[in-house]
Amino acid sequence: MPGTQAETRIRPLDELDISAIVRIDERISGTYRPDIWERRVGFYLRRDPGASQVAEVDGKVVGFMLGDLRAGEFGLEEPSGWIERFGIDPDHRGHDLGRRMFTAMVDHFRDGGARTVRTLVDRGDVGLTGFLSALGLAPSPLEALEMRLDGPAREAR
Amino acid sequence: MKVGQATLEPRYHGAVEHWARHNFKDYSTLLDQWEKYFPTDERFCLCAKMELGTSTLVQVGEHKGEPKRLDPEQLSEEEAGHLLAIIRAQASTEFGSIQQHAGTLERADDDQDRFWVMRVMAEELRHGYQMLHLLLSKDWSHVSGGVTGEQMVEEILSMQTGNHVLDAFNLDYDSFIDNITFAAIIDRVGKYQLTMQKVCAYKPMADSMPPMLREEAFHLAAGVIPMRRWAQRAAQGDPFITMAAVQHAINKWYPRGLEMFGDERGGDTNIKFGFKDLKNREAQDQYIEEVRRMIRDINLRFIRARFPADTPEQADQALADLERTRGIHHGVRFTDLLRLPDRRFFRRKGEPAFSMVGIEGETFTDVEEYLRYLARHLNEGYIASRDLKHYAEALRGVAAGTLTVKDAIMKMPKLKRVGGTCPCSKGVRWVMEGSAADRADLSAAG
Repeated sequence: MPGTQAETRIRPLDELDISAIVRIDERISGTYRPDIWERRVGFYLRRDPGASQVAEVDGKVVGFMLGDLRAGEFGLEEPSGWIERFGIDPDHRGHDLGRRMFTAMVDHFRDGGARTVRTLVDRGDVGLTGFLSALGLAPSPLEALEMRLDGPAREAR
Repeated sequence: MKVGQATLEPRYHGAVEHWARHNFKDYSTLLDQWEKYFPTDERFCLCAKMELGTSTLVQVGEHKGEPKRLDPEQLSEEEAGHLLAIIRAQASTEFGSIQQHAGTLERADDDQDRFWVMRVMAEELRHGYQMLHLLLSKDWSHVSGGVTGEQMVEEILSMQTGNHVLDAFNLDYDSFIDNITFAAIIDRVGKYQLTMQKVCAYKPMADSMPPMLREEAFHLAAGVIPMRRWAQRAAQGDPFITMAAVQHAINKWYPRGLEMFGDERGGDTNIKFGFKDLKNREAQDQYIEEVRRMIRDINLRFIRARFPADTPEQADQALADLERTRGIHHGVRFTDLLRLPDRRFFRRKGEPAFSMVGIEGETFTDVEEYLRYLARHLNEGYIASRDLKHYAEALRGVAAGTLTVKDAIMKMPKLKRVGGTCPCSKGVRWVMEGSAADRADLSAAG
């Protein structure tokens, strides 16, 4: 466990953080998925470098939060900040790193002209919804809808 | 993060587009297929971008605390001349890298990698355009030796691989491995230069840096991510991708990258004038540590792919053991991994210029033995090049005492433009004398 004197730093994501993110994801999910994270990091560095953040403790990346500023999707013309992926090494939770990464992202989104931060979350994930709620995110009037495509076909009119 | 945009007056904008038609033939293909490879990304804009809301006060140097300069006339003649050399060198590198990438772009074995590099090329075109904007939007005539803005633009756009200001931009690529390695190694130097110049006492230069840096972040990813995938393929036995081939490309580019920081003993002038915030050696040290981290990351990707059943901790341990013992771990030799060359390896500028030092820091006393060593550690396409031939001649001269190191540095040949009015003139010939480009290089190194 990190000591209380550990030096923590929040900084923008870079391409050399991929291995650390793969490792954090592997600790959380139990699966080694380098290809996925190479694609995602490439995507965010291309889209909006400076938005996504990582948390370092004593020089080691122990948390990440990925997202970007975008406009024009789902009829939302005003620029919004989107937070899409995040994770914190289980050994480093409870040290406010998630909040600090979130704050850095919000600052970036605000500088870019956003007035809203958005994300999607599984309501059944109590830990995650609790974390996001503590950050100040609340249910949105926009509703996420979906339809399963692997069941029996249903006639639509 | 608010950004203003500007375009050059039509004849200069047209000259850049004309240049792109000759030197970046896939430019229109990239724009046509942008949505396919970069869906929902903002469309590419050939324009100058200036960050708004940046510091209005000089942040470093002898003018610290004074208002940043908005016009070259507000700089001393020495400062303005120095900055002009930096801008011209920067412009040269941006256009130069496009010419290099174009040579082997079609050899990419993966369409995504190819389009990533094409995007890098387009953004380098924009960065070159940005530098032309700095040259043309103000009057530099008092320090340009009578060279007009139009002539400066023509000079920059007429450069070909061989006569660019910095050596890294004068080397031909031998395969697509060079495209990727260049992005990972040389664009990383670019990131440092842009970051240092964010403080520049000349505000239009400082304001140009943040938008360029944001684009540079993807350029580094366009190098590192394919290298990571190649390490995986090499570990899995792909006969066409080997760690040795990647290492040879690193050996080719890394020394040139180190030299882009300028002589290790220099950089005071840049700080004194408030143009950069790190001396050459300080920046180079940070760069070396970053490349070391990159190489370790790629090696770890290799180890994980070779031993998929290992836990992350076991893979870490295996890599640490290999680094420590330089031995073998379950059939993987230390020499199968990528290695960071010694900072003195294969150098021809700066403090260790023309010293004979190997990748591991081993020293050589016999020139021919050292050249044979280089031949074993560089790729075949490169060792048969004019560049290496001239290096070998200069090294032999230094070893024999017939050439001083300083003269050897100056003797490295350049292509020099000798005529032509078309912005993409190919009227160049080989020359052996120290060129204006050399002088600009030394000046830029500060």
